[in-house]
Amino acid sequence: MDEEGTVIEFHLDGRSGVPPYMQLIHQVRHALRLGLLHQGDQLPKVKDVAAGLAINPNTVLKAYRELEYEGLAAARPGVGTFVTGTLDGGSFAALGPLRTGLQHWLAKARRAGLDDESIEALFLNTFRTAREEGIA
Amino acid sequence: MTAVIETEGLGKRYRRLWALADCTVSVPARHVVGLVGPNGAGKSTLLNLATGMLAPSAGSIRVLGAKPAAGPAQLARIGYLAQDAPVYAGLSVADHLRLGLHLNPAWDAALAQARAARLELDLRQKAGTLSGGQRAQLALTLAVAKRPELLILDEPVASLDPLARREFLQDLMETVAEQEVSVVLSSHLISDLERVCDYLIVLAGSRVRVAGPVDELLAAHHLLSGPRRPGDTMPAGIEVISASHTDRQSTLLVRSSGPLLDPAWTTSEVNLEDLVLAYMKQAAGRGERARHLEVQR
Amino acid sequence: MIWLTWRQFRAQATAAAAALAAFAVLLVSTQPRMTSLFSASGIAGCHSGSCAGLASAFLDQLASATPFSGHAFDPLPDGFDLYPFVYTLGTLLILAAPAIVGTFWGAPLIARELETGTGRLAWNQSITRTRWLAVKLALVAAAAMAVTEAFSLLQTWWATPIGRAMSLGGSASVFSGNRFSPLAFATHGIAPVGYAAFGFTLGVTAGLIIRRAVPAMAVTLAIFAAAQIMMPLWVRPHLIPAQHATVAIGRDVTLNNYTVTNGGAPRFALTTGTVPGQPGAWVIASSAVDRAGQPVGTIPAACVKQFANSDGGLDCLGGQGIRMTVSYQPASRYWALQSAEAGIFLALAAALAGFCFWRFGRRLG
Repeated sequence: MDEEGTVIEFHLDGRSGVPPYMQLIHQVRHALRLGLLHQGDQLPKVKDVAAGLAINPNTVLKAYRELEYEGLAAARPGVGTFVTGTLDGGSFAALGPLRTGLQHWLAKARRAGLDDESIEALFLNTFRTAREEGIA
Repeated sequence: MTAVIETEGLGKRYRRLWALADCTVSVPARHVVGLVGPNGAGKSTLLNLATGMLAPSAGSIRVLGAKPAAGPAQLARIGYLAQDAPVYAGLSVADHLRLGLHLNPAWDAALAQARAARLELDLRQKAGTLSGGQRAQLALTLAVAKRPELLILDEPVASLDPLARREFLQDLMETVAEQEVSVVLSSHLISDLERVCDYLIVLAGSRVRVAGPVDELLAAHHLLSGPRRPGDTMPAGIEVISASHTDRQSTLLVRSSGPLLDPAWTTSEVNLEDLVLAYMKQAAGRGERARHLEVQR
Repeated sequence: MIWLTWRQFRAQATAAAAALAAFAVLLVSTQPRMTSLFSASGIAGCHSGSCAGLASAFLDQLASATPFSGHAFDPLPDGFDLYPFVYTLGTLLILAAPAIVGTFWGAPLIARELETGTGRLAWNQSITRTRWLAVKLALVAAAAMAVTEAFSLLQTWWATPIGRAMSLGGSASVFSGNRFSPLAFATHGIAPVGYAAFGFTLGVTAGLIIRRAVPAMAVTLAIFAAAQIMMPLWVRPHLIPAQHATVAIGRDVTLNNYTVTNGGAPRFALTTGTVPGQPGAWVIASSAVDRAGQPVGTIPAACVKQFANSDGGLDCLGGQGIRMTVSYQPASRYWALQSAEAGIFLALAAALAGFCFWRFGRRLG
């Protein structure tokens, strides 16, 4: 892949069970959070990502469209896809109270007698169910 | 979306053995279609029928709306890469490009030269001394530079080392992104196809077992695990593809058209490899143990 | 497609051209000596009926001549007869060329593409299999016919003096027979073109059916050799109905199968190689007959003594009214027979080619 002009390099973990397009989205979000991607940066061309990772171009398109839907990117026909949103700052304020609420919940679960794995299973189950209901 | 390959009850018989039987598929255009199945399942037979190398014993097949190899115009719209990438050992790389130029009216010489340069193929080298990966790349160049609408690749990476395999698929994906061409490629390893295909056809035991867009297939199949349930039947709309049991637990791979509401089952997502393996197992008859759990229609 | 045919055929074409060139060099370098011997022999100016003696003398001389006249230096080994060697070599080359062409050009044409899988490359470009075959067949067949005929024409040109001498009745060493003898007929005129076309298309057909080059080559060679033998034996004599004549026992009569039996008359057979009044004719069959035209197989009592003493036996037979019946083709029919033979093989070639188009264009399996 051409190094010049790219600000993010994608990689795929074939074993993670996470669909490729989701991995691409996560990596973009992650980069945004860490401040590696800024508004106005161009995301790598679909062709280059597809060739670099040996994945179907439609997969890349799907990821980019999802990012557009989330308001994080916008496609300019004939030019490319550009970052339009940010993920840091805005949610900072909410982090503190959320963290505290989570600590309280964890304490309650321990008192109820749940061990680490039970807590993790309960959390993930509820998290996934809520996500499915939320997205559908 | 029109279909690039349409078959209706297609079959091919050699003496008494049906290499392919009762094949009815409609392969959509502008997809990368993976044809996967064990060796001897009929993949090459199907592709040979599609290119006109073989004539059907039963049923029909239409490629890009016409009979396979119907004439020069139709041949020009299809690029074909045969198994093991045959090339003329005594002809140089440049000779092969000239072959493409002379035999294809729509030949894009600039594209061919650019590809050869990018792939660092020595134009004067005899094709017989190329490595497996380079032969595959040369053959792909010949198929791609005629600017086809449909690319048919028969086990293109089967005999390539992992690096050559990766480079070939990278090159193929770049071509797909640039040229808006439909691709049908076959393999007996799903791992080759997983990342590049967005449509899947599973062939096993000379028959098509399942076909559809990868996203839909993954969404419709689930892995269920739960306590051992002998003699149970599943609700209507759920088809058990394969099952395995221990004393205490049953694990089923099912296809369902709706949500699964039984709380006794833990549902998890299926990956493509598991899905393909399940259908291949079913074809091999090892799904027998779970037969009684199949839906009564 | 023309370019591809040439590119794939290049090596074989070069080999054929090299062989032709080497043969031409051999012929051209040995021709001057033969020409000078011929002019010195006086055959050219001979118009009487007894030129056969001069002709045989020339051929005899030629049989032991070397091309290095007047030079003390003679690199050829003693006892090696150059001109008979060249003559025989030429004949063999022309006989073998169609077989070689069929085996090495024809059999692998389709078979190798099927065997190595390269057919899948060639037949999935933008031309149909039919067109691929048409161009290949046409160009290589034309080359096959041209090469074979070139060898034949070279040989004919070089052997003009020899041919003249033989047609006058002379003979020595290998220079015997006339242009109807089996080897001579098949290697001169237009017959070689027919053989070449047939050999080549036979090879292509074998390759198409058998699908593997080496077995196809063997089968082609076997069938072609059989055809080469069958044609002069069984077909050629009957291409045009032979003419018949009954003639007196002349000088060119051979006594065969003379067997003395105990208590009975000796048995015999007579054959002749010429027909009086038909110079250069091709005698297909001949035998002895009596006055009534019935075959004669035993020596009449009156002539037994002459045969026993080997003295005047044939004259005695003639006196008894025994004559010869001959079936023959007159010399004037040479070109008609050539055309018929070439025509048969060209027709066979066309039929084989047609079969190939039908079978190849439709399906490969």
